[in-house]
Amino acid sequence: MTPAYRMKRISFHYGEIPVLEVGDLQIASGEIVALAGPNGAGKTTLLHILAFVTSPSSGEIFFFNDRLEKHNVLSFRRRVGLLLQNPYLFNTTVLKNTMWGLRLRGYSRAVAREKASRSLQRVGLSGFEYRDARKLSGGETQRVALSRALALDPDVLLLDEPANHMDRESIERTLEMVQEFNKKHGTTIVLTTHDIPKIQHIVHRVIHLRGGMVVPSLPENLFSGQLMEDGSVFQTERISVILPSPVSKGSHIAVDPTKIKIDTTVPRSTLPNSFTGRVVSLTSENGFASIGIHAGERFRVRADADSSLLADLHLGRNVCITLQSDSMFVF
Amino acid sequence: MKFFVDAVYNAMSLIFGFDREVYLVVWTSLKVSGIAAFLAAVCGIPLGTLLALKQFRGKQGILLVLNTLMALPTVVVGLFFYALLSRRGPLGDMGLLFTPEGIVIGLFVLSLPIVVNLTLAAIQGMDPRLFLTCKLLGAGPAQQAWMIMREARFAVTAAVVIAFGRVISEVGIAMMLGGNIKGFTRTMTTAIALETSKGEFELGLALGLLLLTVAFIVNALLFFIQRGQG
Repeated sequence: MTPAYRMKRISFHYGEIPVLEVGDLQIASGEIVALAGPNGAGKTTLLHILAFVTSPSSGEIFFFNDRLEKHNVLSFRRRVGLLLQNPYLFNTTVLKNTMWGLRLRGYSRAVAREKASRSLQRVGLSGFEYRDARKLSGGETQRVALSRALALDPDVLLLDEPANHMDRESIERTLEMVQEFNKKHGTTIVLTTHDIPKIQHIVHRVIHLRGGMVVPSLPENLFSGQLMEDGSVFQTERISVILPSPVSKGSHIAVDPTKIKIDTTVPRSTLPNSFTGRVVSLTSENGFASIGIHAGERFRVRADADSSLLADLHLGRNVCITLQSDSMFVF
Repeated sequence: MKFFVDAVYNAMSLIFGFDREVYLVVWTSLKVSGIAAFLAAVCGIPLGTLLALKQFRGKQGILLVLNTLMALPTVVVGLFFYALLSRRGPLGDMGLLFTPEGIVIGLFVLSLPIVVNLTLAAIQGMDPRLFLTCKLLGAGPAQQAWMIMREARFAVTAAVVIAFGRVISEVGIAMMLGGNIKGFTRTMTTAIALETSKGEFELGLALGLLLLTVAFIVNALLFFIQRGQG
C-alpha cells in the first residue's frame, strides 16, 4: 500500500532547542494512527509538520511518494485537513465558515454552498447554516471545524486532541464520524492524544512520543537515569542495563513490554540484562496478560493471555526477567 | 453675552437657511478629506497588512518612522509640499499649488501613517489561531492577507474613519496648499480661521457647528463599528 507519509530523520528545533527528533516514520494510506504521549512530547509539532504548516528543521518528507519541496507545500497542504484542539471560527455564519476552504480552491459559490451544507449535515449541524459561528458552544464549534475540514475531502485528516474539552458523548460522536469517513473514503487519519483508552477502539496503531522522540514501547517501562561507561551502560536509580550498542546521549530508557522474557525455572540467569524479581500484579485485558514484576525497577510485561507461561505465575512468585537486545530505546 | 447669543442665532440662520457659501465650504472639506482618506485606505490597508504579516530586515526602522509620522505636524506637511508644488519647486510645473488636488496630496500624506499604523496594530492584535487557520484551509499568501483583512474589517474601517476625522479637522495643510480661495479651496477650518480674523463671527460659528456635527457623525460611526465588532 502507498504510504501517505514517509519521513526520514525529521527534526524540529525552536532556535537551538530540539523539540522533535522522530527519525524514520511511515504512515500507510488509509491507516488510523494515534500519536500518544504526555504534554510537551512533541505531538502537536509533529501534527503541524504533517499538515505542512510547520517546516521541519531537517529531514525529508514524502507525501504519497512525492517529496516535500518548497514549491509543492501549498498543494500538499490543500490535501490535508487539520482539526485544531481549540479551533478558530471566522466572524461570520456557520455556512460561510464551512465554505471558506472550498472557495479558496476555486469552487463556485453555488457548489461550495452545496458541499458545505452536505458537510454540515454529516456532522449533525443541519439548520445551523445561518447561525453566528462565534455564538456556538464548544462542542458545536468543534463540529463546525470538523465539517469545514471534511468538506474539503482531504486525503489525510489530522485531529489534535479530539478527546479534549468534550464530554464523552461528543467524543464518541466525533470519533464515529472520523472512523466512518476513513472507511468510506479511505482517508488517512492521524490523531493526537494523551489518553489512549479514550480513542484506542478506533485506531489501527499507536505511535508513542516522549521528549520529542518516537519510543517503541508503552510508557510503563520508562526509567530515567544516565549513561555510563562511554554510553554502553544505562544506569537507572536501581539497575544497570547493558546497551546492545553504545549511544552518545540520553537520559531515559524505554523497554518494550512485549520484548521482555520471563523465566520461572532458572532462579538467576547468566544472560546480560537479566534481573530477578517477583510478580506483583497480574491482569488480563483484550487477549493480553499484563504482568507487573518488581525486579529492582518495576517492569510491566505483556504476553498473550493464552500463553502457557501464565499457568506458572502467581502473585509473589520469584521470576527472572531478561530484556531482549531490541527491547531497549535510550533517548 | 448678547453678542454671543446674536452670533449663535445668525449662525443657525445660515445653517438652516442653507446658505450657499456655507455649504460650498462644507462640500469642499468633505470632498478633499473623503478623497484623501479613501486614497489612504487603498494604499494604507494593504501596506499595514503587509507590514503586520511579513518579517524582513529594516521592519523595526519602518515602524519607528511610521510612529513618528503619526504625530506629524500639519504645518510641516504643508510647508514641505508647498516647497515641492510651488512654481520654483520640482513639481511646480504640475500646477497643483492652491488647488483641491494639492490639498488632497497633503491630507493623504497626513492620513496614510494613521491608516497603516492602525491596520498594522489591528492585525497584530488578531487571534494567533486565525493565521494558522488561514494556512490550514489552504490559502496562498495573497488569500491569507485577504482573509485576515476581512476578519479585521471592523478595526480597519475604524482606522479609516479615524484618519478621516484627523484630516477634516486640520487647518495647516488646507491653508498652505489650498490658499483658502473662496469657492475653490476654502475648507471649513480655513474659513473659520479667516472669518474669525475678519470679525465675521457668525459665519465662523456656523462652520464650527457644522464641523462639530461632522465630528459627531464620525464618532457615531466609530461607535457603531466597535459595537459591530463586539
